[in-house]
Amino acid sequence: MWDLKEYRFAATAQQAVSLMRQGPGKGAFIAGGTDMFLYPAGCDFVVDINHAGISDIARTPGGDLFLGAATTLHNLAINPLVTGFAGGIISEAAAHCGNRPVRSTATVGGNLCNALPSADMAPVLLALDATCYIADEESQESLPLADFFVGPRVTVLEDRLLVGLALPADAGSRSCASYKLTRSAEDISLVQVAVALDIRDGRIETARIALGAVAPVPMRAVLAEAQLAGQTVAEINPDLIADAAVIAAGECEPRDDHRASAEYRRDMVRVLTRRQITRALFENNTRTETGGTVA
Amino acid sequence: MELNGRPQTCEIAPGANLLHVLRELRQFSVKLGCETGDCGSCTVLLDGEPVNSCVVAAARAHGHQVTTLEGLLDDPLMKDLQARMVAEAAIQCGYCSPGLMISLYAHIKAGGSADEAVLREALTGNLCRCTGYVKPLAAAAAVATERRGGTS
Ligand SMILES: Cc1cc2nc3c(=O)[nH]c(=O)nc-3n(C[C@H](O)[C@H](O)[C@H](O)COP(=O)(O)OP(=O)(O)OC[C@H]3O[C@@H](n4cnc5c(N)ncnc54)[C@H](O)[C@@H]3O)c2cc1C
Ligand code: FES
Ligand code: FES
Repeated sequence: MWDLKEYRFAATAQQAVSLMRQGPGKGAFIAGGTDMFLYPAGCDFVVDINHAGISDIARTPGGDLFLGAATTLHNLAINPLVTGFAGGIISEAAAHCGNRPVRSTATVGGNLCNALPSADMAPVLLALDATCYIADEESQESLPLADFFVGPRVTVLEDRLLVGLALPADAGSRSCASYKLTRSAEDISLVQVAVALDIRDGRIETARIALGAVAPVPMRAVLAEAQLAGQTVAEINPDLIADAAVIAAGECEPRDDHRASAEYRRDMVRVLTRRQITRALFENNTRTETGGTVA
Repeated sequence: MELNGRPQTCEIAPGANLLHVLRELRQFSVKLGCETGDCGSCTVLLDGEPVNSCVVAAARAHGHQVTTLEGLLDDPLMKDLQARMVAEAAIQCGYCSPGLMISLYAHIKAGGSADEAVLREALTGNLCRCTGYVKPLAAAAAVATERRGGTS
């Protein structure tokens, strides 16, 4: 049982923010609650955002994919707009997060706002250049997801609400691959790697490599990305891919914890980055794989 | 909320989880195991979807449909599943059984596949220490195959 004085429901995003600022005492938003019930950190009231009109998934006329912050991970896993975008990599990542009943209520917004270094939805969304939409009482702001995370468990939000995420239309045709290294799918990631390549006329126009659980916040390996951008698929060779993977391993800042050592994590970034680049390039296969052993 | 098809009102503490409220409402099929969303012994249906009631706010159920095993005892699909579980001897200590059966029920009801890998995925949220899953999976596969007219 959680020592809470009041449970409030918000009917709109703006109302959610004003209910949050009303006091008295300390408040927090609650979506699925799957994190909040595990760590019921001292707050006096919560504002439920499940009826605030931010649970939809939509494709804009321009082809951007919009994901409401309160969309559940199960919906992301099965919604045709999402399974059909970027080879379904977002759906695959959602389907590998937690267990089936948790995904019925856990939301994508909660996963990101929780801001754990290991947030499972962060790497694929970073690799697809997601933009965050943030609501204040009267205004809305948008910023790249890459600028959303400030530190472990800290985002730019303060008492504002994450309304949703938009993925640019062109990201929908990227060639992607990702991997969640973990003891079992429902466990937290030891290392996550997501790769998204924009390949046009046989040339890598842009490359995105995003890493999870290996730095204070989910991050992009921008130096490794630069190594790939501009290369032609015909000329790219295993050495170049291996070099990019070594660069990515150098960019991350993993820590030791009870799940894995920093050294192991860094080496796994190297191995998994090499493999995901190769898969994105040559297998045209976007399945997110989960696995505990990397041979 | 609507509990097992009937309107239900009750007073709850703002921070209560759904698990405790359901047990106070004498839904004793809803078991307390880990209270961290891992074991699945507290699985119920919220608007038809399986959830771990220990990590769902009770207040969240306001205006929604909650279904426990008690509410499915006369349901033909649940009866089939029960009969198969018994026939396969898929129950040992039984602590996991209500939650496990709710998860399987939701999967099969949604037209889910009888393929073993898919059924195992449907059970990712349900820990069973006794059976090793083999017999519950066999029971579920049989019922799912029947429901799908003989195809898996
Ligand atoms: C058994 C189990 C297994 C799990 N496995 C995984 C896993 O494999 N990978 C993983 O990444 N996570 C995992 N989790 C953690 C959790 O389920 C996910 O992070 C989930 O997506 C959180 O979403 P939620 O809606 O439940 O968040 P909530 O608990 O409702 O909220 C989490 C935090 O975000 C804030 N918040 C929520 N929505 C908003 C918003 N729109 N705007 C501003 N702030 C907001 C809340 O105030 C709170 O601080 C697991 C949890 C459990 C119980
Ligand atoms: S008691 Fe709810 S999942 Fe274990
Ligand atoms: S039968 Fe004992 S835990 Fe499943």
